[in-house]
Amino acid sequence: MAELKTGDRVSLVGRIQDPVGRGQSVTIKKELGRGGQGIVYLVNFDGKDMALKWYLNAPDNYFYPNLNNNILNGAPSDAFLWPKALTERQNGSYGYVMDLRPKNYFEFGNFLMAKAKFKSFNAMLAAAMKICNGFMMLHRFGYSYQDLNDGNFFIDPQTGDVLICDNDNVMPQGEKSGIMGKARYMAPEVVAGGIPDKYSDRYSLSVILFMLFYANHPLEGAKVVACPCMTEAYEKKFYGSEAVFIYNPNDKSNLPVRGIHQNVIRRWPALPAVLRDTFTREFSEEMLRNPQKRMIEQNWEKLIATLRDSLVICPHCHEETFIEEGKNTCMDCGKPIDTSLQLKLGARNLYLTDGTKLYIDHDNTADVQVLSDPKAGLLLLKNLSSGTWAAETPSGKLKTVVPGDVMPVKAGIKISFNQNTKGEIINA
Amino acid sequence: MSLLDETVEIPRRTMTLFFVIDTSGSMAGSKIGAVNDAVVNVLPMLEEISAENPDAEIKVAALEFSTTCSWLYSEPKPANEFVWQDVQANALTSMGAACKELASKLSRSGFMKSASGSFAPAIILLSDGAPTDDFESGLATLKQNNWFKAAIKVAIAIGDDADKDVLTKFTGTNEAVFTVHNIDALKQIIRVVAVTSSQIGSKSSTAGDTTKQEQVIAEVKSAVDNIGGAEVASAPATTASYDDWD
Ligand SMILES: [Zn+2]
Repeated sequence: MAELKTGDRVSLVGRIQDPVGRGQSVTIKKELGRGGQGIVYLVNFDGKDMALKWYLNAPDNYFYPNLNNNILNGAPSDAFLWPKALTERQNGSYGYVMDLRPKNYFEFGNFLMAKAKFKSFNAMLAAAMKICNGFMMLHRFGYSYQDLNDGNFFIDPQTGDVLICDNDNVMPQGEKSGIMGKARYMAPEVVAGGIPDKYSDRYSLSVILFMLFYANHPLEGAKVVACPCMTEAYEKKFYGSEAVFIYNPNDKSNLPVRGIHQNVIRRWPALPAVLRDTFTREFSEEMLRNPQKRMIEQNWEKLIATLRDSLVICPHCHEETFIEEGKNTCMDCGKPIDTSLQLKLGARNLYLTDGTKLYIDHDNTADVQVLSDPKAGLLLLKNLSSGTWAAETPSGKLKTVVPGDVMPVKAGIKISFNQNTKGEIINA
Repeated sequence: MSLLDETVEIPRRTMTLFFVIDTSGSMAGSKIGAVNDAVVNVLPMLEEISAENPDAEIKVAALEFSTTCSWLYSEPKPANEFVWQDVQANALTSMGAACKELASKLSRSGFMKSASGSFAPAIILLSDGAPTDDFESGLATLKQNNWFKAAIKVAIAIGDDADKDVLTKFTGTNEAVFTVHNIDALKQIIRVVAVTSSQIGSKSSTAGDTTKQEQVIAEVKSAVDNIGGAEVASAPATTASYDDWD
């Protein structure tokens, strides 16, 4: 192993950007941080600041060609802070170059320690959606993640945008990187010694999503807290052979403990039933033991889209709340919310209250902002998308709403958001 | 107030890092000075590891032993609250008594009473000599202790007079005994061992085939290559007991 120092030049195998070819190099500026595996340096590439991950304990030989393949194949989606160029083997080791992580992204662990907080449920749902999508794309590329844990995700608490890091541990499915994540995030079959694959990734995904929504661990309740000394042997039990979901309806031995698991105790009843039902199913004994039955990423995306459709701004206290079948009281102030004005979009009903954002398509960015015009006593829809809407009034007048423009909320107006997506404002 | 504003930190376990330090007469002068300097410098690093770690908080405890043994604080302290008081060298090497004292505190009624549980502790033993008291009976008591059994145990042998057999018995393997021959190496190895065992000891395990202690040894070994004057114990493994063959 060999550490690098300021001014050292490290030559690259591949290319960072075309058309510059072989013979490129980066120059070390300073150390940014270090972990068990290696050191991350700030480096200069052709006048631009980038990051170099340099291995101190270079993993086995298989790792190098695997990294090279991943670089050639490119990132599965923009959720990944993907390796951009491999270095030559030099100074007894090697590394890879990637973009720097922007300052406004915080490690997921910081959210768990309440050092970073989501600005809104809207941002939280955006993060959940982006993580699911990232995993779907990763699996579509034939990879599995291997060591998913709270140190790999960086999230912007304002927008919910996500960057998935440490992608050097991404491997073709069925192969093992030798770099293991934390038992807390591993599927029971991996804790028991199995090879990670897309099914175990799906388990890890459900743990990450649970912790994102409820800010506690799904398997850490009374039973786990009672263990005075969490040795490796106990971890293998609690996250593997004897894992029990904290809200397992058939086994109450591991319920959350008041004063310790405060977040999940508050949020579990407050967030929508569909979320509770999904996690109860995904962490049931059946799903823990049968990896193939776990929910696929697309269905997580659908669930998150459904949650997003039910998220509104309360007109009384201006906080966010979820509208559910048979439940339209605000989870913060408890007052009933008038949900009669809706945008009907196929099978979806989007509630129109002042301040609420609507997501028409599935690109994870808001397309409509509901506003109010107090003088006219009307709600307005603002076009946040990049396309022009075509609207037809009940009397048959045709209007266009260009990006940035607004239109009034009146029952009977039909809106074409694009070729395929048409909706109608209704007063239910 | 919104539900999100009320979010509190998830419960973290506690991982206590124990420094068990030989302060006998032979440690006087530059050795004890180097230990004091190294521990003071490593504390902020431990604080940083603790602050960034959602799995566990790191606490520090220190036991010095010479003619008698005593704790620097009456309970483990978070790294940022642990103010190191320079230890002084003094006469004998009561390592056996230190083992017994350590055993008495490795319990839930002693130092290990975190409400949200603990990870196994990491214990770093530093010595430059040989015990002058009944080490075997002290160690026998300590080896009955389940916290000790599960602990990451590493020893630093300062110079060739350190009794490596004794340190090997303490750690359970000669691979966990690191020898240093100069003051710079001593400072560096204290930093590397303290940081590495804190990093590995305070995280949810990898559930692999290697124990946390083995992971610490592997990482420290690779770091040792970079430290001049530090080496891994080269003595043959003496951990296995051949008493059955008597
Ligand atoms: Zn309200």
